[in-house]
Amino acid sequence: MSAFLEGVERRAYKQAVFAVRDGETALDIVQDAMLRLAERYGDRPIAELPMLFHRIMQNAIRDYYRRQRVRSLWTTLLSSLSPGRGDGEEHDPLETMASAEDSGLGESPATQLERHQVLEIIEQEITRLPARQREAFVLRYWEELDVTETARVMGCSEGSVKTHCSRATHALAATLKARGITL
Amino acid sequence: MNEQQLGNKIRQALSEGARGERVGAQVLARLRAAREQALAHKKSERVPAMAWAGDIAGRFGGLGGLSFRVLLPIVVLIIGLAAIYAWERNQRVAEVEEIDAQLLTDDLPIDAYLDKGFEAWLKKRGSR
Repeated sequence: MSAFLEGVERRAYKQAVFAVRDGETALDIVQDAMLRLAERYGDRPIAELPMLFHRIMQNAIRDYYRRQRVRSLWTTLLSSLSPGRGDGEEHDPLETMASAEDSGLGESPATQLERHQVLEIIEQEITRLPARQREAFVLRYWEELDVTETARVMGCSEGSVKTHCSRATHALAATLKARGITL
Repeated sequence: MNEQQLGNKIRQALSEGARGERVGAQVLARLRAAREQALAHKKSERVPAMAWAGDIAGRFGGLGGLSFRVLLPIVVLIIGLAAIYAWERNQRVAEVEEIDAQLLTDDLPIDAYLDKGFEAWLKKRGSR
């Protein structure tokens, strides 16, 4: 289990960030998911862990959405002004970019900046996908679960998984092309 | 580019975005701490000696609401106690039998013949 958690933790964090758009909340979700997996399913075969872990993650993310809706309702009722999420906040990518020494790629700063911007745009478009399409796409193509496993994690039919994946890839292809990204 | 090819390309990009240096040292430290905490609370694997009992429990679904994991040790204990009781009883019987056999086969000590009560008993038995 240690090797599995070590291998999945960074991807899980990024997937949670795509879903909830907040780093601290994403860390809490991943932490809770790891703890639940270990406490409840620590004796399961290794092959079952990816499916179990992502099911726990999806449930935690849905719980977060429900709490946000309730919180949003109270905020609307109590105040006429809702604070913005701030996800349109601009920041200088040079502040967060890894240096050539750190990345070990030996690329020029211009190339690194371009790559950084491409990765950011891809992540933004993943974030903007409808939740079910994003879940299906990430589980199928990033976690590399098969259709059956993805359906079990998402609690839907295999046909729905294929539909969500197809729509997600079409949407990503269109939006990335519109933003000048060629993969 | 078909769906699979696009998915693969985006996977590569997402994996690059999840590399340690992009995620940040602080996040990596938090993730490591979360992982260690989870492993410290990990549910232990089933004890091999009882694993087959768990399989039986799964097949028969337990008895009277109790799983075989609870029932089996109790049954083994009861059988063991019964076996110990039977053995001890047999031992006592064997000891008594041995004493009786010795009494019946060994020669009487000479003092028995001097006992008046024994002489009277012998006469009484002989007159029947």
